[in-house]
Amino acid sequence: MFVIVTYDINEKRVNKVRKILKKYFTWVQNSVFEGEITLGKLEKCKRELLSVIEKDEDSVYFYEMEYKLVCNKKVLGQEKNYDSIII
Amino acid sequence: MQKSLYLTSNGRLRRHENTLYFETEVEKRSIDIENVEQIHIFGEVDLNTKALNYISQYGIVLHFYNYYGFYAGSFLPRKKNVSGDVVVRQALHYLDREKRLFLAYCFVESAVYHMMRNLRERKEAEAFLIAIEDEWGKGRFNISNIAELMGLEGRIRNIYYQSFNQFLPEDFAMEKREKRPPTNPINALISFGNSLIYSHTLSQIYQTQLDPTISFLHEPSEKRFSLSLDISEIFKPLIVDTVIFKLLNNRQISLEHFDEDLNYCYLNQEGKKIFIKEFQSKLETTVRHRQLNRNVSYKGFIRLECYKLIKHFIGDQVYSPLKAWW
Repeated sequence: MFVIVTYDINEKRVNKVRKILKKYFTWVQNSVFEGEITLGKLEKCKRELLSVIEKDEDSVYFYEMEYKLVCNKKVLGQEKNYDSIII
Repeated sequence: MQKSLYLTSNGRLRRHENTLYFETEVEKRSIDIENVEQIHIFGEVDLNTKALNYISQYGIVLHFYNYYGFYAGSFLPRKKNVSGDVVVRQALHYLDREKRLFLAYCFVESAVYHMMRNLRERKEAEAFLIAIEDEWGKGRFNISNIAELMGLEGRIRNIYYQSFNQFLPEDFAMEKREKRPPTNPINALISFGNSLIYSHTLSQIYQTQLDPTISFLHEPSEKRFSLSLDISEIFKPLIVDTVIFKLLNNRQISLEHFDEDLNYCYLNQEGKKIFIKEFQSKLETTVRHRQLNRNVSYKGFIRLECYKLIKHFIGDQVYSPLKAWW
């Protein structure tokens, strides 16, 4: 499945959250990650996040789509190609 | 889907902030390590044991290629799926002359089938197709040992490569197949593609219980993972050759994508990138599988081939090689 993750986290913990998300997704913009992932790994990622965030203060949004094509991403201005497999 | 990563630029692979970083002179990029299955390294890349330890935790296979794009070797993390039973039975199939010949024959049969499949749609190559059918039809029943089988395969492959001249652009004329080192562009393409398929197959074998060193068609020589060569045989015409045809006939790759040295020839950085991109999208193309009733990618078919072999070794189901039906 294809997932977009955005987050708003207290400065004290934001780096921890960023480090976890970086393992599973590709970074696209400040506080935004996206990428293809399996259900199991997504669950694993959410568990890791839950152990870090304060539930009454921080928020992480997951936009989950069954296929990447559904997302129909359009870009204005610079497209930063961070997810290419050839570096 | 677990992805394959190709590093064509020079830089350093580093463990940092609990994930993997690839740092080049121009940029620093983090890699989502959980989704990586294998990394192919073409450039000059530095890495240390800290990175290797981390990579092995995730079971990621590293494949190294030399400057010319030839397969140099792999870093294989500790194998997780091991089964002594399967290895012993695999070895038994090697030791028994009849059983070994059967498997070797299967690989060649499938390879020849796919070669003919490639030529079938092309009118220009009709004469060659008939020649291959003829050679195969006559030869296949008179095989008593592996050497004869290899000889037959070699003759067929010769005709097959000759036929390329009929439908590929003139710039890419092939006089004969040359390896180590290739001397003209088309040979360079074939060699590069074969290196890729070889390592991809190895990655797939490595995730099953099979032992990559015990092979059937190729001699299990000591220094190579020859089972990977055996299984690649099936997929070379199916994947590598079709990718080459597509790239050349659509003029995506031209002579400017090659560097020529004293008397050999190889793909340059740009050419490699184009090739890898097409190759990867081919691997990810899916086909509806009739028995499994789900879509299987070309990469998935390589894995299925391994499973079929295991089933054959443990006496569950007789091996029948892949013959593309689509």
